[in-house]
Amino acid sequence: MPKIRKVLVANRGEIAIRVMRTCKELGISTVAVYSEADRSALHVRTADQAYFVGPPPSRESYLVQERILEVAKKSGADAIHPGYGFLSENASFVRACEKAGITFIGPPASAMDAMGEKTRARANMIKAGVPVVPGSTEPFATEGEARDYAQKIGFPIMLKAAGGGGGKGMRRVESLQEFESAWRSAKSEALNAFGNDAVYIEKYLEKPHHVEIQVFADQYGNTIHLNERECSAQRRHQKVVEETPSPILTPELRAKMGEVAVKAAKAVNYVGAGTVEFLVDVHRNFYFLEMNTRLQVEHPVTEWVTGLDLVALQIRAAEGEKLPLLEAPTPNGHSIEVRVYAEDPSRNFMPSPGKITYLRVPGGPNVRDDSGVFPGFTVPNFYDPMISKLSVWAPTRAEAIARAQRALSEYVVKGITTNIRYLKALLAHPEFVGGDYDTSFLTRNHDALMGVEDPRLSEVALLASAVYAYNRDQKRAKTLPSAQGSGAGTGGVSPWRQALRNRR
Amino acid sequence: MRYFTKQQGQKEAVPVDLESLGNDRYRLTVNGKTFQVDALALEHGTMSMLVDGQSYSVEFEENGDEVGVLVRGQVTRVDVADERRLRLRAATAGFSVEGKQLITAPMPGKVVKVLVKVGDEVKEGQGLVVVEAMKMENELKSPKAGKVTELFAKEGTAVENNAKLVVVE
Repeated sequence: MPKIRKVLVANRGEIAIRVMRTCKELGISTVAVYSEADRSALHVRTADQAYFVGPPPSRESYLVQERILEVAKKSGADAIHPGYGFLSENASFVRACEKAGITFIGPPASAMDAMGEKTRARANMIKAGVPVVPGSTEPFATEGEARDYAQKIGFPIMLKAAGGGGGKGMRRVESLQEFESAWRSAKSEALNAFGNDAVYIEKYLEKPHHVEIQVFADQYGNTIHLNERECSAQRRHQKVVEETPSPILTPELRAKMGEVAVKAAKAVNYVGAGTVEFLVDVHRNFYFLEMNTRLQVEHPVTEWVTGLDLVALQIRAAEGEKLPLLEAPTPNGHSIEVRVYAEDPSRNFMPSPGKITYLRVPGGPNVRDDSGVFPGFTVPNFYDPMISKLSVWAPTRAEAIARAQRALSEYVVKGITTNIRYLKALLAHPEFVGGDYDTSFLTRNHDALMGVEDPRLSEVALLASAVYAYNRDQKRAKTLPSAQGSGAGTGGVSPWRQALRNRR
Repeated sequence: MRYFTKQQGQKEAVPVDLESLGNDRYRLTVNGKTFQVDALALEHGTMSMLVDGQSYSVEFEENGDEVGVLVRGQVTRVDVADERRLRLRAATAGFSVEGKQLITAPMPGKVVKVLVKVGDEVKEGQGLVVVEAMKMENELKSPKAGKVTELFAKEGTAVENNAKLVVVE
């Protein structure tokens, strides 16, 4: 297969920039696409070429397959990198690329089909001998059948949408009494989110950890794993902090899970970068959850401890090169990633889009900031509120936590509210520091993570605010020429304006 | 010069006495304690503040009447005003939830639902308007019990940050 010379990145934000950075280092030209809301976005300027693809809502721009392919042809791109989200796990898009003679940097459509729908993926994994969470392999036709099944495997159970992910259409049901209403709401949510109301049932595991294995395969059936990522720090099924190695994995369990993940990938003839997600219960049994057939948001932590560039590996695999290594590298040191979101934790994590008036990102040794924003950029309200991924490396976990704390304390974002303080509280929480935190960690500790006020710092803040107000008032007095005149007594209002006011 | 500083969520304003000593030096008194402070204002709302040998990098961010103060990872939102302005502000109810309450959009987004009409009696905490931004719906609640006297929000329309939505009186 010929070398890739020009890549269209069918994405936006930090991941578009992440992919383009590697392309530049490899001497590959880049093409950006942008919606109306992203004309000023950083990925447009990072690319060598950029094309407009439609109005702000992603289903009218970033998700319109024909338009993306049209740009690919117009710009002369020979490959498309989909990033994550958007078209990255859309098998029909992969087929359309193939038809257009453009290389899709990702797995073949058949592998996506096999892993895309959750019940089908479960059935495929059972066939391949991969352990899955006890539950139904098929969606249920009626509520009655579903209820009988739930009673058979025993509460608590999870209702899950067959067609989706990201926590939509997902309900935990504690008892038979709750079943009916949970069933109804899961179905309607699934229909709204995925256009498919098929719902299946899984046993709910106690205190589960979310541990995923990065896998990688070339086109010749060579498949390896690149160790795990611990992603149990989740809020509403959205990951907030990820790390590797997982503090709960022994080398034996890592090897066992890695082997199973490779088996899962091989079963669907996987090619490129993929992630096999597992739930690990209190007894350290692990169960297949789902496979993400794309590059993950949290891939930088794997890059830190393996020394690999996963995007470069993806491109090489798409060019038909063989894998440069044939077994999992032993993880070197420890890496932690925190996701900086434009949201306000104190207001129920309400998104906080708007203009970034000032931005200072952390530096220093072994700190990496994967960001898609810049000072003066207005974070649009149409897309994901993640503005940056901050990741660090250190020889040990304790040092990595300290480094992440230090880096976060250097992060300054003005104009919008971010979750930086929440992230600091999370990293300082004894349960996180202890390392054995399950997927309910963030929800259970919500209040503690809101942060306790340090009264000494509040006092400093009051002092500072008085100086600030003083400087502000001095400046105002200077810029208002009337301040020295008759207006001074009325608080800097000009006599003309005062006269007008008096007439009213 | 006396300033009144009211922290978000606190009922009482705390007075801070400020005496400018020139050359970015100040004598500040708060809660009965007096500090000699060297406060060097830099660009973009950054200030280097030295208090009894302690070095603080302070970031300010103005948002309406309030100023957000970031010190060592902690953000404190303070409404700071001199006596005259404080009185003016009390009149417009900035310092309390008494009287007329204007509910504004906390972020740019789209009004997806209006839950009240003009003339409705509402309870404290009752939902008034649902605004959607970044694929998340957020219900804006009434800060007090009262009556809806004005309604600016229209379903399906885009709103800017701080756009007027509802008045409850």
